[in-house]
Amino acid sequence: MIELVNVRKVFNAGRPAEFTALSGVNLSIESNKVTVLIGPSGSGKTTLLSIIGCMSRPTAGRVQLAGREITSLPERFLTDIRRKTFGFIFQQHNLIKGITALENVMLPAYPLGERHVPLKQRAMKLMEDLHLSDKAESKVEWLSGGEAQRVGIVRALINNPSTIIADEPTAHLDTQLSHRFLGIVKRFKEERKTVLITTHDPLVYDDPVIDRIIRLRDGRLEVERR
Amino acid sequence: MREWIEKQKYIIDFTLSSLLRRKAKNIGLLALYTLIVFILASVMFFTHAIKKEASLILDQSPEMIVQKLVAGRQDLVPLRFVETVRGIRGVQAVRGRLWGYYFDPRFGANYTLLVPPPTAQTGAAGNGSRRVMVEGEPDRNAEGSAGPLFDLGADEIGVGSVVIGSGVARVREAGTGELMLFRAYDGEILPFRIKKILPSSSQLVSSDLILIDEADFKRLFGIADGLVTDLAVTVRNPTELSTIASKITRRLPDARPIIRDEILRTYDSIFNWRGGMMIVILSSAVLAFVIFAWDKASGLSAGERREIGILKAIGWESSDIILMKFWDGAVVSLTAFLSGVILAYGHVFFTDSVVFEPALKGWSTLYPRFKLIPFVSAEQVTTLFFLTVVPYSVATIVPAWRAATIDPDSAMRYTGE
Repeated sequence: MIELVNVRKVFNAGRPAEFTALSGVNLSIESNKVTVLIGPSGSGKTTLLSIIGCMSRPTAGRVQLAGREITSLPERFLTDIRRKTFGFIFQQHNLIKGITALENVMLPAYPLGERHVPLKQRAMKLMEDLHLSDKAESKVEWLSGGEAQRVGIVRALINNPSTIIADEPTAHLDTQLSHRFLGIVKRFKEERKTVLITTHDPLVYDDPVIDRIIRLRDGRLEVERR
Repeated sequence: MREWIEKQKYIIDFTLSSLLRRKAKNIGLLALYTLIVFILASVMFFTHAIKKEASLILDQSPEMIVQKLVAGRQDLVPLRFVETVRGIRGVQAVRGRLWGYYFDPRFGANYTLLVPPPTAQTGAAGNGSRRVMVEGEPDRNAEGSAGPLFDLGADEIGVGSVVIGSGVARVREAGTGELMLFRAYDGEILPFRIKKILPSSSQLVSSDLILIDEADFKRLFGIADGLVTDLAVTVRNPTELSTIASKITRRLPDARPIIRDEILRTYDSIFNWRGGMMIVILSSAVLAFVIFAWDKASGLSAGERREIGILKAIGWESSDIILMKFWDGAVVSLTAFLSGVILAYGHVFFTDSVVFEPALKGWSTLYPRFKLIPFVSAEQVTTLFFLTVVPYSVATIVPAWRAATIDPDSAMRYTGE
């Protein structure tokens, strides 16, 4: 369970360009469910996602992860939580160019100092699950959009996180690839992972795999649909 | 511990692949960096080795030389000076020396002519006022031992013959048994038969040297009997050198005593000055490199910042990013440092400093072709290390630290709302 209590996020505080991205958000996200955040651009979806994923801190308010208050933790502990608890799937895939798909997949595990052989075996197994075995040694810039996204998904899974966070995952995918992505989300759900997705795409939020839809506008929660 | 080692391996591996990803930029930087280290190390090795060489040779030279001055210029020394100097308390031996320079207009070369003593033993004893001692470089296999350069007395040379250095033989393409013609002070042409060529192992001293009989020397330069070029003085207690020097000037007001340490100091400043001059000339190149390296090292491109954002978003800590940048700087600067130092070593000690030779040696017309003793001190290498590797490594870490403290959500902001 992830719980947000009166979370505010203000960018450029005290400057002329001050901007409030989130204003007093209270929210509980259940474990083992697929939750979708929807709303127009600038509504605060990505900000909320980054606060939940321990990538940034709220200006005010508290975030609790499995009952533990994490807002005030030092950066090192936040990184540790981020690394072990969350797997991130980005809109632009955010793969590191110039290295292979396999190396990209293994990158999040490097700071943990795991032995190379088991790490590589696990990465290959995950790639195989998403039909990427033959692309393991390909440089990421040679991959198609769908392949690059699947590499991004495998990378998110390498440390076996309990929560998957996906930011606009279908923004650059066609309908067929979007359906394939939703198939992967279904597998996550079967594996009892918590999934949190931001999207504009009706194909995603209308899919039966989604358990809960949260609507954001101007940094506040709107009507909630289930 | 195992995890820590694995982590270092992964980070070094990723750093190397990052360097290779920006191949053109990093190879350019590495080449320029190596060139700068090469230049600095060459100048440093050369000046240090030549100073060392000069001091080794001068260590074997007389503790004091006495010259005679006329109107502020060096003049020939009358033999009466020998007795006067020998009479000073503390003086062990006084020897008159005959030597001079001869310019050969045909080959544009300057030779050093020297009259050796009848035998090295006799000369060293210092019991003959007209004996001349030839001092040589020390035996490098037995450091500290003061052996004469060549065991060749004037008796062995004989009237009408000369013994020449290898540089002279090279310039004149002359061999043993051939005749060498000299133009005497009065215009008369004097032929001398080459009796022997000196071994090339002692080139710094002997390259431009010609050993000649005393009578021939005097005939060639028109020097009257009873005169020598200067006096070599040995004292019993070296700490009394300056006292003895002042006594000499009191008794012989027109004499100029020169203490060996003063010559050593002069050599030091000459080669320091030459080395410094080279550095000043090359300082614009060094400065250009510093600006380039600083720009490269201290400024992270948008791509690099985004990459750092991604790494942080997927679970890398700030310390991992700083470690990565540290290895990045260390790999570049250590590679450049080692390559530059090795290239400079080869350049100075194996190719006779072919690039900087004219500026650094600045010899007489006939350049002695000699090999320097490879002499590199830990102090030199450490200085060079701190002047090159440390600033670069620091310059890479500071901006990486700043970038590493960016919120990892910048990776999401790249596209997001």
